[in-house]
Amino acid sequence: MRNILTIARKELSIYFTTPWGWIGGAAMAFISSFFFIFFLNSFKEVQDKAKIKGWANMDPDLAQMRNLTDGVIVNLFGWLLIVTLLIAPFLAMRLFAEERRQKTIELLFTVPVRTIEIVLGKYLGGVGAICATLGVTVVYPIILGIFGASQSGSALEWSTVALGYGALLLWGAVCMGVGMFISALTESQMLAAVLTLVVLLLWTVVGALAPSAEEPWRSAIRYVAFDTQLQNLMSGVLDLKAIVFFVSIILLSVLFTHRAVEAQRWT
Amino acid sequence: MIEVENLTKRYRDRVAIDALNFTVAKGEILGFLGPNGAGKSTTMKILTGFLPPTSGRAKIAGFDIFENPLEAKRRIGYLPETPPLYPEMSVRGYLAFVARLKGLGGAKVKSEIDRVCAAVGLVPEIDRLILNLSKGYRQRVGIAQALLGDPPLLILDEPTEGLDPKQRAEVLGMIKGLGGRHTVILSTHILPEVKAICEKVLIIHRGKIVAHDAIGAAAFEQGLDETFIRLTAE
Repeated sequence: MRNILTIARKELSIYFTTPWGWIGGAAMAFISSFFFIFFLNSFKEVQDKAKIKGWANMDPDLAQMRNLTDGVIVNLFGWLLIVTLLIAPFLAMRLFAEERRQKTIELLFTVPVRTIEIVLGKYLGGVGAICATLGVTVVYPIILGIFGASQSGSALEWSTVALGYGALLLWGAVCMGVGMFISALTESQMLAAVLTLVVLLLWTVVGALAPSAEEPWRSAIRYVAFDTQLQNLMSGVLDLKAIVFFVSIILLSVLFTHRAVEAQRWT
Repeated sequence: MIEVENLTKRYRDRVAIDALNFTVAKGEILGFLGPNGAGKSTTMKILTGFLPPTSGRAKIAGFDIFENPLEAKRRIGYLPETPPLYPEMSVRGYLAFVARLKGLGGAKVKSEIDRVCAAVGLVPEIDRLILNLSKGYRQRVGIAQALLGDPPLLILDEPTEGLDPKQRAEVLGMIKGLGGRHTVILSTHILPEVKAICEKVLIIHRGKIVAHDAIGAAAFEQGLDETFIRLTAE
């Protein structure tokens, strides 16, 4: 356990002494602020219209705009998923590829540390970097909490916000797992990042195939598509099935990384 | 300290080392010689547990490096051919990281860093980023890293590579001082270095041992240089 934390700490410190951690954070802040303002504006527009016409006469599709949590935060989370998908490959790419290129992997494998501790330490460091990147976006719910208002007292449903963040972190951890595995396969960071991005993007379009597929494929595709899996969590419903699904993927990627790293010493 | 039995490593169809057998006694300084590509680095990588051998076994202080890697690795300080450094870390940060991985904790980390930095002459550079160090200093950080935790066995792959003559003499003097209490295997291309500090010499050529003897022994009567050239001629 101590070795895992030592390695995780080193990974995190390298994220923040090289530009990557800062670039990730800055990209997240820039893109998310754009979406936050966009959703805030449309929320205000709908609210203004509703004040004149009354909610009863509004399009029922706009019902989610009745409160800040569903109208702004949940919509924003939907986009943060995509931003996380775009940033994670660049945070994950150096985990193993860089160690191999710099030949520091030789150090890690000749100190009295188990391979699984190296893999878990690196994974934990990577997830830490994702947490820090997503942490930037906490300002938006806080701003709404301070300046927002609603008919039922608290401006936001904090349980929904917390669950949404849980879902985002879970997704970030999944992206990091996939990225770490791919990083363990190559010496080139760029190749690792691009391959991870391709895999994650393919995963996002899988869900779009569902409507045109026949049963039982349709259910199967719905099941593996990450956005349908995350939908419940993101809208504030605790969905154990989704948690099990993503945790399984994380465990698999850690296991695969371990096998990949071990296998390279044998060739 | 080291027992090697029939150690063989094949990369696909190429044989890197072929059934090596040798032992190194406690406190000995062994010069590990051979032309480029003879299998020196491969042997060292196997002894430190980085590469698994194709067949044969190696024991460090009685622990099989393959069956009991953690116990064996705890007793080894290793400087690979390329010093394994993280350029974006400071010398102190890097050494603290390695010290913790070697199982040192708390105050011991700091005192060990101070000790090894003094031993290799790194004290003035301790807070600089490794990125900004010259090649000679990077090599010293590599050696310092191997010395952390005071392991009984040191395996140094070309420790004087990239050093200027003065630094070379300093590092060799330091390694010589380790003898007796520590067992040292060092590989090098520079024969006078071996003469200066090693008690025993092992020459390998094309993956096979061609000489293994004390430096004053009959095998090296014609002089180390002559013998080396003759044994590795074909």
